[in-house]
Amino acid sequence: MRSDSSLFSNRWLPILLVTPLMLLIVLFFYVPVFQAFYWSFFLEQPFGGSSEFVGLDNFRRVLSDPEFWKAGARTIVFMLSASSLAVALPLILAIAADRKIRLSLPARNVLVWPKGVAGASIGVVFAFIFNPFVGLMAPLNQMFPGIWAPGIDGTDAFLTLVMAHVWSGIPFNFVILLAGLRSIPHTMYQAAAMDGAGPWRRILDVQLPLIMPQLFLTLVLEFTESITSAFALIDTITGGGPGGSTTLLVYKIYVDGFRGYDLSGASTQTAILMVFVLALAACQFAFIGRRINYER
Amino acid sequence: MKLSILATTAALIGCASAAQATNIEFWYGNTGNVEVAIKAQCDAFNAAQSEHKVNCIGQGSYEVSMQKAIAAYRAKNHPVLMQFFDAGTLDLMLSGAVEPVQDLLPDVAWDKYIAGARAYYETSGGKLFAQPYNSSTLLFYTNKTELEKAGIMQTPKTWEEVIEAARKLKAAGHACPFVTDGDTWRVLEQFSARHGLPIATKHNGYDGLDAEYVINTTFAAQHLTNLVEWRKEGLVRLAADTKAGNYTAAFNAGECAMMEQSSGSYAAAAKAFEGKYELTVDMAPMYKGYERHNTFVGGASIYVMKGHDKAEVDAAKAFLDFLRLPEQQMFFTAATGYVPVTTDVVDLIAKSADANSPKYATAKVGVESMNQPATPDTRGIRLGFYVQFRDIFMEETQKAFAGQQTMQVALDNTKKRGDQLLRRFEQTYKDKKLP
Repeated sequence: MRSDSSLFSNRWLPILLVTPLMLLIVLFFYVPVFQAFYWSFFLEQPFGGSSEFVGLDNFRRVLSDPEFWKAGARTIVFMLSASSLAVALPLILAIAADRKIRLSLPARNVLVWPKGVAGASIGVVFAFIFNPFVGLMAPLNQMFPGIWAPGIDGTDAFLTLVMAHVWSGIPFNFVILLAGLRSIPHTMYQAAAMDGAGPWRRILDVQLPLIMPQLFLTLVLEFTESITSAFALIDTITGGGPGGSTTLLVYKIYVDGFRGYDLSGASTQTAILMVFVLALAACQFAFIGRRINYER
Repeated sequence: MKLSILATTAALIGCASAAQATNIEFWYGNTGNVEVAIKAQCDAFNAAQSEHKVNCIGQGSYEVSMQKAIAAYRAKNHPVLMQFFDAGTLDLMLSGAVEPVQDLLPDVAWDKYIAGARAYYETSGGKLFAQPYNSSTLLFYTNKTELEKAGIMQTPKTWEEVIEAARKLKAAGHACPFVTDGDTWRVLEQFSARHGLPIATKHNGYDGLDAEYVINTTFAAQHLTNLVEWRKEGLVRLAADTKAGNYTAAFNAGECAMMEQSSGSYAAAAKAFEGKYELTVDMAPMYKGYERHNTFVGGASIYVMKGHDKAEVDAAKAFLDFLRLPEQQMFFTAATGYVPVTTDVVDLIAKSADANSPKYATAKVGVESMNQPATPDTRGIRLGFYVQFRDIFMEETQKAFAGQQTMQVALDNTKKRGDQLLRRFEQTYKDKKLP
């Protein structure tokens, strides 16, 4: 049996190659994570100085705070709506691009480009697109004044966020799903067609089952992404408002920690959020991941 | 031989560094024309002498600047001089990170500072913690041209008159008679101060960390309820209701006819109005039957942070001395609309040939507003985690403006959540005493 390590002649080379990345991960992930967990047991003064060990007091405080649960509920609504749309839309686009319909080739290229745009930039653009006076909805607002007011109405603001997130998720998911579709052998379609399956039947019975690994990957990534990466969008589009209606947990942590100097509370919520994300991913792997057949 | 060369080199390096100016950093949060004025003052200081050199670094906003200062202080990488905004006062007083300016510069005639500016930044024992810098207060701006078009010849002085004027403007087809962003500083703090209403018990926290918010029980609650009603009537607009999306921009562009705003935006408004509209600026309106008290000083002050050597602290002192100079204060007032904060400068401006020039328009009315009769509740706000309280107030009242809850419920919630902040602050600083 040939092990992978025989790829490298020197036993230290692979370790050397991995070290810089590991160092970065330790420095920018594990150290802050440890710090957050540590601070969640202390009452920390913003400028340093003495900090007091308070045991589970911070957790008690956070878990009994209705604002925490409201932000948590908003996070879950956002996660479910934004990430399922952010997978469903690219799926439709990928199936369309995979069929040899007109313009599918340029579409394959064009749809990937938004991947290069940073979340904050998307936020700035969407804030403008959905501006009630000059944006896309302006004509609607002229017919029915006040029907679209993301600066006042929390639901409108939330919708803007979901749309921006879905848009920003299209390129990556599209690429993954399209790659999955392209790798399905043509003979499968031909066989299905011979048996009299029409296009819809082929999508349902051949394509979807065969790209399950890709669908699962995009869903897992989207679910976790939607929880954390919404930050850039919220910060640039709504700032958490109006009336806290778009304050997802990740933004609440920022506001509490950096605007409110509540380092302990922010750390505690970080710890809770991290455990939640880990548990979510674990559940996905345990309940869905196991049923996926990776063999073809 | 070799040793002597080394010694000479060392001595030379020593001399060179002694002759070199001490470099210090000053962080501030303002942008726009205020930042231009701050930079100009830094350059003037560096040009006026060669002993010290101050590097003035803009951080983009007051909040960001405070966040960075906290991070920098924890990393022991903080500047000597730091501009902090009004809302951070108590957090800084208890932080142990700053040296009171009155301790560092005991010989300065601090009593020359106008009472409104002093009270906000001094301890209960009367010691000034920070040197007031860009000091503003709330003023009432109107677009006189638009008001006259609607038949309003007198600038409104009371809320009753403001609303009457707003109704006339609306009747004349004006889409945005009065605009506000509902900001805590404008609609709650300055309103409470000038009407003599407390924001929290213990005289807004001056007498102890165990204060509690009372905003849901004072007349401020009625005023805020009125704002909601007036918005429904189309007399008051929020920033999000305006085309500009920002209430100052909406006023400056002529979209809205009246606003309450800091004196610090006078220069920008005057420039935007030039040749198009006539601008008036007055003390903020009162309700009939209430005696006028002083408004709080807003804006920011300069703190000296601990942990620096003597040369750096000396440079910091020199820069503070420089900023206190009458000509510097007058320059800053004229360039920005921020108000002068020492009585001698107020007098100098009054006596100068430019006394009635528009560039000092805010100086006179701003100082007048801050010099109204004071009560123990109008000294300032000494409440912990106050920045977060401002956010909570905004969040809850926005819900009220959107019709999701009544203003009274919003204020009850604000009080409840605010009190939790105060209790946590009390626990966080259990080992510290209110100075």
